[in-house]
Amino acid sequence: MNSTSSTASRPSIDAKRLTASEGLLLLVTRALDRLKPGQVLEILSDEPSAHHDLAAWCRLNAHKWLETPAAPAAGRQVFHIEKGSALRILIPAELDWGCHAEIKDGRFDTRDWLVGHAAEIRKTALQSDGFAPRGAIVEEGSPDFTFDVVDRELAWNESAADFYEQATAGHWDGSRDIPWQKMTALDAELERAVCQLMTFLAENEFSALYVPAKWIARIHPHFSETVLFLSTQVRDEARHIEVFVKRALVNGGGLQFSSASTQASLKSLLDQEDFIQASFLLSVLGEGTFLDLLRFVETHAPEPVTREIARRTRLDETRHVHFALTHIRSVLKAEPALKTKLRAAVLNRASALSGVKGLNPLIDESLAILAAGGLSPDRLPEGLRARAGLYAMMHENRVKRLVAIGFAEHEAAELSAMHTPNFM
Amino acid sequence: MSKAILVGAVAYDPKVVTIWEMIKEYFLAAGIPNDFVLFSNYEVQVEALLSGFIDVAWNTNLAYLKVFRRTEGACGVLAMRDTDVGFTSTIVAGTGTGIESLQGLKGKRFAFGSRDSGQAAIIPEYFLKQYGIDSTKDITPVRFDLDVGKHGDTGTSEVEVVNAIARGDVDAGAVGDQYWARALSEGLVDSRKVKAIWTSPGYCHCNFTVPRKADEARLKNWTDVLLRMDYNNPAHRKIMDLEGLKAWIRPQMEGYSVLFEAVDELDFFNR
Repeated sequence: MNSTSSTASRPSIDAKRLTASEGLLLLVTRALDRLKPGQVLEILSDEPSAHHDLAAWCRLNAHKWLETPAAPAAGRQVFHIEKGSALRILIPAELDWGCHAEIKDGRFDTRDWLVGHAAEIRKTALQSDGFAPRGAIVEEGSPDFTFDVVDRELAWNESAADFYEQATAGHWDGSRDIPWQKMTALDAELERAVCQLMTFLAENEFSALYVPAKWIARIHPHFSETVLFLSTQVRDEARHIEVFVKRALVNGGGLQFSSASTQASLKSLLDQEDFIQASFLLSVLGEGTFLDLLRFVETHAPEPVTREIARRTRLDETRHVHFALTHIRSVLKAEPALKTKLRAAVLNRASALSGVKGLNPLIDESLAILAAGGLSPDRLPEGLRARAGLYAMMHENRVKRLVAIGFAEHEAAELSAMHTPNFM
Repeated sequence: MSKAILVGAVAYDPKVVTIWEMIKEYFLAAGIPNDFVLFSNYEVQVEALLSGFIDVAWNTNLAYLKVFRRTEGACGVLAMRDTDVGFTSTIVAGTGTGIESLQGLKGKRFAFGSRDSGQAAIIPEYFLKQYGIDSTKDITPVRFDLDVGKHGDTGTSEVEVVNAIARGDVDAGAVGDQYWARALSEGLVDSRKVKAIWTSPGYCHCNFTVPRKADEARLKNWTDVLLRMDYNNPAHRKIMDLEGLKAWIRPQMEGYSVLFEAVDELDFFNR
């Protein structure tokens, strides 16, 4: 627009009888937002006080109040305001407008939200973007946050949105979805073994809750898919803790023994100060091993409650393991040297735990008792054989997972052997 | 290292400390040794400027006038805010009073802000007189003499003016346009109860006063650095938002004549 434009083509708003405090200032502010400095806004008004209020407001906001150019039309007032050059908000880029994400079969899938600025994944996230959702334009001068994980290479995962969708679809209710009413009385030794296993599972799941929770707070929100997925993992673990504890309490037993060795092993997971190492130790090695443990519990469960608990928790854990496998595989593909770091993490943890005893003996025994259906001499050998099979299976599957993320077979076997006897 | 330039300002609000700490840092970053002193009122600040204790005073128009008269016009001015030019006083009235113009004020109860506030007392009283309304005869004046010595900076008396009208205790009153615009923007005014009916001609408000004209050249570097402050720079914006400006500008002195005339016309210093 130039100064010779006619009044007819000038940006114009009709404020009718609005007073300043009833919305006139808002109306004018938003209209000026659409103009460039130096452009003139025309305001039609029937409110006598508008003249005084707008003139004062213009001065405060460094817009130029122009003298009314012509006689008011048909009793109405006409004002002209020239937009000033002081920017109302300081932003380094234009805000998105006109974005339309795709809705498929009535669903807005999280995988389809890469639209507009939200689709731009930075190589390194900006600390000053803080908690703004990716795609928002953050005001200049915003404070720097102190997130630790800010590199795309470490925090971004192409499949995170996919896993997040699976997780939200797979949520279940620990009070309702476990067939608690089908609980039956068990042989005391068998019940004791189940209660001991539930105690152990719950304490392990606390570590599986706290470790991702700790990393959520350290990962830059720019990589929101990863953060959202990890939050579902935290939610899953909360539900697992809930049902394991409930199972220990529901049938005349109660929560049992927690060993120093288990606590030391789990503490060493929480103490990890590197996201990829922590994720590797927890999800690939720890939760991976847990998949075999939960399948074992499901197979040998003496009643439908324990069976359903083991089945449902295993499905959730499978998702956590797959997310970590996908994530670490892609990280290692981009940066093969990180393999050395992961190997060192296993060695360091093994060395840190070398002074503590192995698996809680009561767990070791409970696994055999569970598989034997009690302490009957007839079935104990079978239980012990099943337990040996479980341990062999755990090692075999750990090796497979390590190979899947890029380790050579012999490295994988060596690392698996050094994994904590505590399983997690 | 040259001697630090000492600037005086009046502490009318706790935020003044924040403002001046930031301004001090701003000048230090530009390589200008400087410091500030806060006074509790403009009268002592004026004395400190005239005695040479401070180099520069951040003055209201009334404080500037005092320095001007005391130095017999030998003082100088370095800079002002963009918002110090074209300052106006707004006459506001209760919507139920039927007052729609200055003439409608006759016989009514009229509220002024602090007696040393240029925008809410001295200048509006002067303009009313120009328009044939003598505050000693034609209206019943009600004065809110709050924070005297701070020349209306705190705005508390203007809040009282608007509230008194809204309550119906008075029919109309005077406020500065800056307070009025802020009150409207922040929703502090109910326009069903209180509305603006008249805006005064423009005049000038604050400035950085120096005791001698020659100081304008001596402190040129300080002034140039001040004028470089940019509202579109986030660090500068913090200072400017707190101090209420979008740009520092060179002095525009013609707008001060209004207050000079008003003070004389009302015999302000002798009444």
